[in-house]
Amino acid sequence: MHPQLEILLQIQDLKTQRRELAETERERQVEELEFHVNVEEAVQELDHKIAEMEAQLTPAIRNRYARIASGRGRAVVPVIQGICYGCFVSIPTALATDSARNDQIRHCDHCGRFLYVIG
Amino acid sequence: MELREFFHKDAIELELKSNDKDDLLKELIGLLKLDEKSEGILFKMLKRRENLGSTGIGRGIAIPHCRSLVVNRLRVAFARKSEGVDFKAIDDQPVHHFFLIVAPPLEVSNQYLPVLGKIAQFAKDPEVPKRLAVLRNRDEFLDLLEQKGV
Ligand SMILES: [Zn+2]
Repeated sequence: MHPQLEILLQIQDLKTQRRELAETERERQVEELEFHVNVEEAVQELDHKIAEMEAQLTPAIRNRYARIASGRGRAVVPVIQGICYGCFVSIPTALATDSARNDQIRHCDHCGRFLYVIG
Repeated sequence: MELREFFHKDAIELELKSNDKDDLLKELIGLLKLDEKSEGILFKMLKRRENLGSTGIGRGIAIPHCRSLVVNRLRVAFARKSEGVDFKAIDDQPVHHFFLIVAPPLEVSNQYLPVLGKIAQFAKDPEVPKRLAVLRNRDEFLDLLEQKGV
């Protein structure tokens, strides 16, 4: 896996976690009631971690990532069975099945998001 | 929705080997049979979730959970460490029983929170820890879920 893609994946996972805690009522309730998480502190902690990971992106990737994230929300999306899960358009077979598929940074031709291919 | 439908038999382990929290998380992740890179990313995510507050909810049970791009559908696992491990649980007691739940960021059927909720409910049943402690095989685990109506 391309090292920058690995960072992008982690950033996206952290952002998912942040969004669920900060914006999804049921998720927040479960974390507070069942697991005694201090949601405010947790969101701050996640913001800190996200910033730390974003600083590890190369300038070119960081710029592109910031542009997509501000316009379209999720900047990194999975490709499952040949479908981009950002825009739900099918992507070229070669990209979807190539065994070295995650060794390069690739984008969806249709929505421009970073792609992570899952088997 | 019944919990037992979500547990693949290969993802049930009654004798974990690990003796500390990190190793145990890794062993637990190993039950999902992902590739090495995905396992590494998942480990980091679960660790970060633990840093926000332990998922050890007391009475010897922990429910590590997160969403991650490395899985393409909801995945769950159950594992037991008879001797118990220090998991920084809410009640400071060692943890013996582990439920792992990992879901993709977007799920068509939105099962993550309901499954997490059901497992938490199951874990609160006062009889459950002692029943988990005496399980002899994987089928008995699945039967217990069914008996408890979760
Ligand atoms: Zn797309």
